[in-house]
This record gives sequence, structure tokens and C-alpha cells, in this order.
Amino acid sequence: MYFTHTCFYECMSGYDLVDIEVTHESADDLLESLSEAGAEEDHLQSIQAVRLQAGQPDSELRSLKELDENSVKLLEHQVDAAYRALFEMDGKALLADEVGLGKTIEVGMILKEMHFRETDESVLILTPAQLAKQWQAELREKFGLDFVCNYDDDFEDFDAHDYIIASIDTAKSERHRQTVLDRDWDVLVLDEAHYVKNEETDRYDLIDRLSYNYAFFLTATPIQNELTDLYNVVSLLRPGLFGTRDVFHHYFVNSNQETLVNRDELQDRLNKVMIRNRREDTDIDFTDRTIDTRTFDPTPKERELYQAVSDYVKGAYSQDQGQKLVLMLLQKEVVSSPVALKQTIEKRLYDQSELTHEDELESILNLIDEIDTVTKQERLLDIVEEARENVEMGRVIVFTQFRATQQQILDRLAAEGYTVHAFHGGHSSSEKEQIVENFEEEGGILVSTDAMSEGRNLQFCNILVNLDLPWNPMRVEQRIGRVHRIGQKRDVFIFNMALKDTVEEYVLERLYHKIDLFQQSVGELSSILSRLEESGTSFEDEIFERLVSADSEVDLENDFDAMAVDLQEQRELADKLEEFNSGVFEGFDLGESDD
Amino acid sequence: MTDASIPVTQSAVERFTERYLRSLGCSIERSDEHWMVSVPEDTATGISHGEHTLVRGAGSPDGDDDSTERLHPESAFFQRLLREAGERSPTGKLSIESGSDIETPEWIQGGGVEVQNVQFTPYYDRTAVVVLFRVGIETVSEYQQEFLRAIAVDARSEEHLPRLADSFLELTSVESGKASGGDAQLTQTEAEPLLDTARELVLDGLQDRLDEIHREASRAADSEVEEYRQLQQQRIEELEEEHSNLSSKINDLSEQINTGDEDSRVRALRERKELKSEYEELDETLNELRERRDHGFPARQREIRERHALDVQITPLTLTEVEYERGEVDFDLYEESTSRTITLGYGSGIGVTETVRCVSCDKEFSEHNPLQTISNDLECQSCAKEQ
Repeated sequence: MYFTHTCFYECMSGYDLVDIEVTHESADDLLESLSEAGAEEDHLQSIQAVRLQAGQPDSELRSLKELDENSVKLLEHQVDAAYRALFEMDGKALLADEVGLGKTIEVGMILKEMHFRETDESVLILTPAQLAKQWQAELREKFGLDFVCNYDDDFEDFDAHDYIIASIDTAKSERHRQTVLDRDWDVLVLDEAHYVKNEETDRYDLIDRLSYNYAFFLTATPIQNELTDLYNVVSLLRPGLFGTRDVFHHYFVNSNQETLVNRDELQDRLNKVMIRNRREDTDIDFTDRTIDTRTFDPTPKERELYQAVSDYVKGAYSQDQGQKLVLMLLQKEVVSSPVALKQTIEKRLYDQSELTHEDELESILNLIDEIDTVTKQERLLDIVEEARENVEMGRVIVFTQFRATQQQILDRLAAEGYTVHAFHGGHSSSEKEQIVENFEEEGGILVSTDAMSEGRNLQFCNILVNLDLPWNPMRVEQRIGRVHRIGQKRDVFIFNMALKDTVEEYVLERLYHKIDLFQQSVGELSSILSRLEESGTSFEDEIFERLVSADSEVDLENDFDAMAVDLQEQRELADKLEEFNSGVFEGFDLGESDD
Repeated sequence: MTDASIPVTQSAVERFTERYLRSLGCSIERSDEHWMVSVPEDTATGISHGEHTLVRGAGSPDGDDDSTERLHPESAFFQRLLREAGERSPTGKLSIESGSDIETPEWIQGGGVEVQNVQFTPYYDRTAVVVLFRVGIETVSEYQQEFLRAIAVDARSEEHLPRLADSFLELTSVESGKASGGDAQLTQTEAEPLLDTARELVLDGLQDRLDEIHREASRAADSEVEEYRQLQQQRIEELEEEHSNLSSKINDLSEQINTGDEDSRVRALRERKELKSEYEELDETLNELRERRDHGFPARQREIRERHALDVQITPLTLTEVEYERGEVDFDLYEESTSRTITLGYGSGIGVTETVRCVSCDKEFSEHNPLQTISNDLECQSCAKEQ
């Protein structure tokens, strides 16, 4: 017996309904088996087998137990989001948690699980340029997932690697676009997905044409300007979920664009594709953070050196802009330590036979040799001494960008009788582990370069000193993130050290404090930075350009103030958007379900 | 309708595998990481006889030879086992014993009265069939969805017995290793109409879900139609522009023909002829396109809607004859100093089959309207409150 019948449904609720065809499969074999005798337990086992075949193949996150608890502490809402994205949304989800709730962790778990189940032969993660390296570090350190980043030296092209993190603009560039599109990706991850909201942009076009099986889009603010943004982002993931653009508009958005109507229906549909956890519903609880920024008067000789280097950098840059990177380096080193500066200059003079500015460089070397007191290092002693008296095992982490500075501080602290530990990128990973272990057991001072930022978690320590400051705020956040993270039980103290009237003071006082960098909750900064990137700004370049092009001190101050205003604006916009999205989704239950 | 599938956890996998292999006559030596399975020579199974090593979980097996297999929810070995076991005996018989716990209805449990004693007296045996159906729903805009549903109908009255289906699912969970039964007594002729009734019931039970998917598919089709319409509209606009460009070019040429010298006139005439034929072609295309637009692109619409149509497949996978008992149950109720016994129709596996009403307001007792007092016959919560 095999029969088919087709039901035609009449038009209802404005849709032209499609047909439903119901086919009842033959039951001949089944009925025939009635006459066959079998063992009692055979039939029970047949029923169980049929029921197991229909069961979801083990809907639990099996890779969870593989994760190292020391590397990543998972929160309930994150596990739940990963679970829902994978098993309830068929691997196509918009992860739209509020800022700071760990969307990257959610994606990390998803990717880990897919890796465990071997459904991730090729994975492409597209992020804003400034966040690409951070993604790479986080996936490696927390989930043991190795991705190549388009900024790595060994990156070849989009068809040469299977696990790639790339800036979305690199992927859509003329050089790579076709290669990206020619490939069938297993998994696509799109960070800051709101930047593809506009269907007329190259970015939208790229994502629209990409071929993939699973996709995870991340954004804390799915709506940027108008509610249609939501339509565009969701339609990329699930074409047709909202019907046509016109229907969406007429049915869900009231005419002034600011509120949603028919919210229940919208929530039902969004629930199929979007997960949004709110901070108030989670158990995230950070301890307090105290920032102590200390600026010091440099000695006259330090002042003279700073001036000489700044003049040299300015002059050399005006003649040859191709030297930007090394000039930027000198400008950063001069506020870190004379010894760091010395190494670079010597290298330039003697290894690379720099001849055009030989005299100037020689005289800078002389100035370096004349310095006998390094102010920052002297004042560092005050901080570590205070810590030795007041903090458990006197544990302090001191960050510097330069190995030469690091070495000098280590020597100095050791000479003063402190227990010291060095951590830099030259160590093997087992050595690094050992160093962190020693630091935890023996206490004292860990002097580290930013190689630590892509590494371990040091929540057993709660005092951090920024001896010098990276011009890239993400790096600053990474440093702080080592100690101020989930699992830190004590309040955290951050000391920033800067010399007065130097670039560092400008960056610190005029920029970082303006955006409340040191008080940002984790994740807020990335939303500001990716906004900045949208306006075409690289933070480091901006700082450098302003520094070398200012004609006078007043000019410079004004320049930095202008930059601060920009930042402030971006920050306010980011806050506003966040608030707007909260408002729109208020009352929507898009987080973990109760059942 | 309850989902009849069983979540495939590692422990379910191991429990089922062990029981199945042992029932085939295999012996199993278990250790933490491995199971050593020995399959005797004359065993009726697709697994080759001899020694096999099963590696628990998804870790890589030590050896890569044919006798080493992985045992986890997605492993090929386990899937093979399920297929084999599923086809082995798709029909049979199970009994629901009355000796098991008597189900107290929610309207008694949730009320203010204590149940002191329960006594079931079976009067006669009844037979039902429970059919497990696989339901597949496919649309182009969604992944294919599959459900497994259990439908129970009484063999004589063809009454739908949803609670018996639930009891059947409990009875056949992976935890249960044994169930009394035997060979089915029903003949094909007897089973066939019952199966037809079950088919209708399974479709009825899926109606809400089907409606929802149906609406989604229709929306997706609408969206595609709209996209197509916009694309064609854009094309029409482009053609119109081209059309008007050609038209003005032709006009320019006509001007030249009237004013130019002989050579240029001839050239212009030739050119105008070419352009005119191009113009006419374009005109035709444009008219055709406009006409299709004005009719709403019927062919394309049909093609899109056909592609988005829902395809529902219903396949009966197992059929079980279930014996259950019907009779009466006595509940001895107690409240402060009052006690009262009520007798209700009852079936093993289906629970109380009678509805009872409040003596004061005649409203049916239910979970939301429980029995509150027996001091003055059976009274519901709201009537008890009023007193």
C-alpha cells in the first residue's frame, strides 16, 4: 500500500500559502512481519533502536570536559548559548549578548565542540582588523584551537589554510575576494556583525555570496540606525525568516522607526535565530578596580634626551615617511628606558650603517650615557615596596613593552633583594608555565613583556604596574585582563607610570582616561575600537601622526584633545547604541530558556 | 503528542549496545576504556564472528584494524547496530501490568484530601496497538525535520489512547531491559484498519507544527517572489532607459537625414535602420516583461511556490500489540474525620477513564479545579471557599 494525497490550503493571513504534500509510506513489510515469530526481547530492542535512531545525536557539549579549567571559566549562560546555537538553531545563530558577557567564549565553545565532532574542516572567522590577533590569542589560550591570522607572516592566502582569522576588509579586498568566495566553508564566524547591516556595501555582498554550512554572527547591537538593520543581519543568516523587507516594515516596525510592534510574533521568530543574554540575568560579578596613575618629573637629563629623540623623530619623518615604524619605536622607547633606546640606536648606527643622521644619533647616544638615574625605575621601587608590606607574598606584575627595559628592571629589583621572575616571548610554552607556577608559589615580582598578554591567567595576583604604555588600547586591556577576570576574588590595583610632558602623559591623560579605558568592562573597548576602525582610524598611527606634525606644544595639546573628543564621541555613540538596543529588546526573552 | 525519540547519550549507547550484543549471544569483557566482545560463530548478526574491541567514546582507537571499533553516539558501529536491531522485530506484543503503581488523577493529588488506600479491580483484558511513526517534513527554506511519534488506539473501539502511548514510551525506555509480551496475535487484516486510524491521528497531532512550518515556508516563498519582482522591475527600468536612449538616437538620425549631404544621409539611413530594428526588439522584450509584471509573473510564482512546497512523509516503523486491563479503581479518601471511597473506571497504562463533577457547581474536576473537600460529598476548591 502506497498512497499520496495533496492538501491545498486556502489563502490566509495575507500569505499565498504553498502546497503541502503528505505521503504515507507503505506498511506492507511491517504488516507482514506480524506473522513471524521472534524472541520476546527482540521486539523491545527494535523499539528502542528505532527510538534511538530518531534521537538527537547526543545533544550535549561533549568537548566541555576537554577544556582546561585554568584556561577558561565557563559561565552558565555561555554554555547555554553554545548549546542552543548548535543544537536548537541548527548551527546558524546570531549571538547578541550585551557587551561584556563573553560572546567570544561562546563561539570558542561552539568551535571546540565542532572540532571535537569533526565537523569543522574549514573555518573562517571575520573580524574588524584591530581584533583579529586578539581572537587568535583567545582561541588558542582558552580552547587550544590554532588559527592562522592574515597578519601572520606564514599566512599565504585563503585557500592555503583551513582555520583562518582575517579582517573582513582583507577578505573582501580585490586580491582575496575571489579566493574566499571560491571555497565552501564549513563554518563562518562574523564578529561585529552589525557592520554588514547595509545591503548595499561590499561587506554585505561578500557575506551574502559566501558559501558555508554553519554560521555564527556576533554583535551586542544588532540595530545600528534603524530597525531594518535587524532585518538585514538576520536575513543573511536565515533568508526568509522575516518574509520580505516590506512585510517586515509594515508588520513589525511602527512608522517612526523607533519602536517595534507585534512584538510577540517578532520574538517568536527571533528566538529561532538570536540569543541575547542580559547582564542582569547572569552571575557575572567583577571585583573593584582601582586606578592609580602616577606622573613624575623627569630629571633634566631625561628631559634633554626626550627632547632630542622627539626632534630627531620629527625631522627624520618629515624627510622619509617610510621609516615610520622604527621612528615610532624610538618614540616609545625613550619613555620606557634609556637602555631600550640605546639598543635600537646602536643597531641603526652600527648594523644598518645609518649615515644620514649619524651625528644626531651619536649625540643621542651620548645623552643616554650621561643618564645615571632612571626616574621610572626609582619610583617603581616605591610601589613594589608598598606591595611587599601589604599584599599576599608581595606579588606584583610589571609590564613593559621592551626586553631591554625588562632586563634592567629585573637586575635592579634583584639587587634590592626582591624575588623576581622574567616572562617574555622567547620562552617555550612549558617554560612559561613553569614561570607562572613559580611566581604563584614564591611570590615577588613578575616582570613581563606583552608576550604575557597572549597567555596565562594570573588571577592569584591583584597588583599590576604599567611601566610603559602601549599605544594600542587593546593591549592595555589585555594586560589588565590577565589579572582582572572572572575568578579574581580581590580588588585589583592598576598603577600607570608616566613622565610629565611626554607623549605617554598625553596618551594616558588625554586619551585613555577620556575613554575611561582603565574602567571599561571587558568587551566595551572592542566595540569602541571597532567603531573607530569604521571611521578609518588606526589608533597608533593617529597618535604618531599627531605627535610629529604638531608645530608647538599647544598645537599638540589641542591635537590630542581633538582626538579625545572623537574618542569620546565614539564612546558615547557606543553607549547610546547599547542603550537603544537594550530598549528595543527589553521584555524579549532571547536568553536561556527556563525549560 | 510526546516526542518518542530517546536522547542518544553515551550511557544510553553503552546500555543498549551491551544488552543487544548479549541478547545475540555475544560475551563482553568490560574495562574502563575498552570492551572486548566475542561474537560466536552462528550468531545471526551482520557483525563478523570472532573477537572485537570496542573503544568507548570518541577517542582514537589504539589499533586501526577491522576488529577495533569506536562506541559513541555517532560511531559507524553503533549506527549499524541500531539499523540491525530496528529491523529485527518491528512487530510484537507487550503487556502493561496492573500490578504497577496506580495513577492518582491530578485533581485528587492537587487538592486538600488525602488518599489513604487505592485498590484496582481488573474486569477484562483489552488490546491496543501502538505504532511508532517517523514523520519527515521537508521544505527548501528549512532543514529537513524529522520526528518520531507514538500513537495508541484501542483494537476494538479504535479509541485514541494518548496516555497509553505515554505509558508505552516509559515501558520501552532504554532503562528497561525486559518487558513481558510474546508474539503479536493480531492478523494483518485486523491490524490494517488500526494502522489507518493511527495514520490519521498522527497527522492530526502534528497539525500545529505543520501549520507553523507551512507559514514559514510560505513566507520564504513570498520573500523570493518579491525579490524576483524587484529584480524584474529593475530590469524594466533599465530597458526603459535604453529604450528612450535609442529613441532619441533615432530622432537625431532623422534630423541628420533631413539636413545632411548625400553621403551622410545614406550612412544615417543605414544606421537608423539598424537602430530601428534594435528598438523594435527592445520594445517587444519590454512589452512582454511589462505584461508578465502586470499579471504578477504567474509562471515564476508557480515555480517558486512549488519549490517551497512542504513534503510530509509518514512512515510506520514499529507496531506493537499492547495488552492492558480495564476495570475499576477504589480511592479511599480521608479528610480530618471524614472518609469516603470513590470508585472510578480505570485502565492500566491509561489511568482514570471517567470524569467526575463537583456536587455543588457541577464543574468537572481537573488539575486547575481540584477536589477540595469530601465532608459534604465531593466539592471543588471554589465551592469549598464560598462556604
